[in-house]
Amino acid sequence: MEWTLVLGRFYGIDTFIEFLTILVSFFISFYSFRIYRLIKDKHYEWFSLAFLLLGISFIFKIFSNMTFLHRFEIEQSNFVFTFMSHLEYMEIINFFSFIFYKTFHLIGFLLLFLILSKNEEKNKNLLFFYLSLIVVLFSIYFNFVFHITVVFILIYLTLYFYENHKKVENMNSFLVFISFLIILASHLFFIFSDVHGLFYLFGEVLLLIGFLCLLANQIKLKIESKKSVRRK
Amino acid sequence: MKNKRTKLEIIRDLLDTLQKNRKVKITHLIYKANLSNNSIKPYLEELLKNKLMEQFFEDEQRFFKITPKGNEFLMEYGKIKVFSESFGL
Repeated sequence: MEWTLVLGRFYGIDTFIEFLTILVSFFISFYSFRIYRLIKDKHYEWFSLAFLLLGISFIFKIFSNMTFLHRFEIEQSNFVFTFMSHLEYMEIINFFSFIFYKTFHLIGFLLLFLILSKNEEKNKNLLFFYLSLIVVLFSIYFNFVFHITVVFILIYLTLYFYENHKKVENMNSFLVFISFLIILASHLFFIFSDVHGLFYLFGEVLLLIGFLCLLANQIKLKIESKKSVRRK
Repeated sequence: MKNKRTKLEIIRDLLDTLQKNRKVKITHLIYKANLSNNSIKPYLEELLKNKLMEQFFEDEQRFFKITPKGNEFLMEYGKIKVFSESFGL
């Protein structure tokens, strides 16, 4: 009898990608919280929370794809029969992890949307969160509903970062705009992930590229700040 | 025409003045930060609340001085500015 841990789809490539996105999300969240600690501006606190939720959502996604395979052999006369089965309770863990992934992911992006749209009306925000939970419930049966909703939020965010880049005109704002554009493209692929597994793989690769652009932005920030300290 | 300063830039200007001087009077801050008597008040309150500067009295006169947290803000300012700009915060 043998137990095997299977991480994600496509030989665990998706799990590796998600692990990197978790690191990038937590890195941005941590830095935003550091700024909040210094100047106590609520925007940075919410921004930090949004990326924290995105990071947590990817942890749940890893759990939603993880499974234990139970392999056992039965010998009968001259034949050896090999059987593989899933651990039963893992299916429950996968199911709830997938729901939590969608909930945290949607709320993370929704928070970003609310921070950047500078919406201060609490009643409207509550309505947005309620509608998001409805979307998550709906997406239990129709997975594409979740991705379509994320796509709509990402369209707004990408447009916002495009306008911001036009205003600021530097490499960092360009990297943020490009990263959200690529993340948007990744979710467009995810919409069709139930049709064919390749759509899922392309989506994951684009997600990785998108988050790598965000990482490049953070690394650039660190290098520039070190240079400016040295100049002083 | 010069762009309107952001909140971050005004905080930087105030803390910069405090860093360059051991103790600063409010009139000096108003002059250096290019703010009016009324518009400087919320910034002073915020800087005191966030412990980026502290006030003390000498000969019944109020002075301000920068705190270690304020110095940390100035060290990080460049990074904070680029971070905020790149995400449009």
